[in-house]
Amino acid sequence: MKLLTRTIQKLFPARMTASAHCDGPCGVYDPASARIAAEAVLSMTKKILALDPGDRSHATANSLSRFITIKEEQAQLAKTDLLILWTDYFKPPHLEQYPDLHDIFWQAAKLCSAAKVEVSIEKAEELMETINKIHTIFWATKKREVPYYTAS
Amino acid sequence: MQESNWKEIFLWLTRRRRRCRVLGISMLPLLSTDDEVLIDLQAYRHQHPLIGDIVIARHPTQTGLQIIKRIMGVNEDGRYQLRGDNPDPIRNSSVLVHFSLILGRVTSRFAAAK
Repeated sequence: MKLLTRTIQKLFPARMTASAHCDGPCGVYDPASARIAAEAVLSMTKKILALDPGDRSHATANSLSRFITIKEEQAQLAKTDLLILWTDYFKPPHLEQYPDLHDIFWQAAKLCSAAKVEVSIEKAEELMETINKIHTIFWATKKREVPYYTAS
Repeated sequence: MQESNWKEIFLWLTRRRRRCRVLGISMLPLLSTDDEVLIDLQAYRHQHPLIGDIVIARHPTQTGLQIIKRIMGVNEDGRYQLRGDNPDPIRNSSVLVHFSLILGRVTSRFAAAK
């Protein structure tokens, strides 16, 4: 089968293409992506705390492992999205308008790490609140009124 | 991702799959540049895309650009969050697109890069 498809590919390469390029200057930014990831962190933190580690069953161990993995991934994703927004979207004029911008992003990035390392609902909720602040500033710089909402 | 089997090849020959060449590395390690995939352009006629699906979509701001990404989430306003698989954030980016911009679902890898 591989020989057949490779031969077809070699003789008649596909004309249709789809870009999987790296981060391009598309100018499309939205704090919603960080918010979705942070919500997943909060959800996983609640699920982890709802499990009984004294149960000692394989099912509990499996669920715990999955929840922790997702929490780790989503916290890192939230951090990455926030850092891209901070470094690529926001410019010096925004900082003049919002002098505490750097501090808010710094706190948000630290909270992503804390929510990843710990099992803390307080830290996860604090992260959501900080992303809400970023949401407000972001859309204000675009002179648009976009209500903040959560999926859960 | 599954390699194209006889069923997929048959669907391609009967024009129910389209071949598409990947350009770029944001879908590594799953897909590399010059890999070819098969796409089902009818996949979302009767059902919505699912989180985890790899899709071909029109870029929301760059006219004429088609992108291949994985669906990571859905916003309340109906926009889908697409992102590549590449774990390196410098090699990857996410984008929000409306359902109308999603062209089809990637169903198999037709051929790996030469």
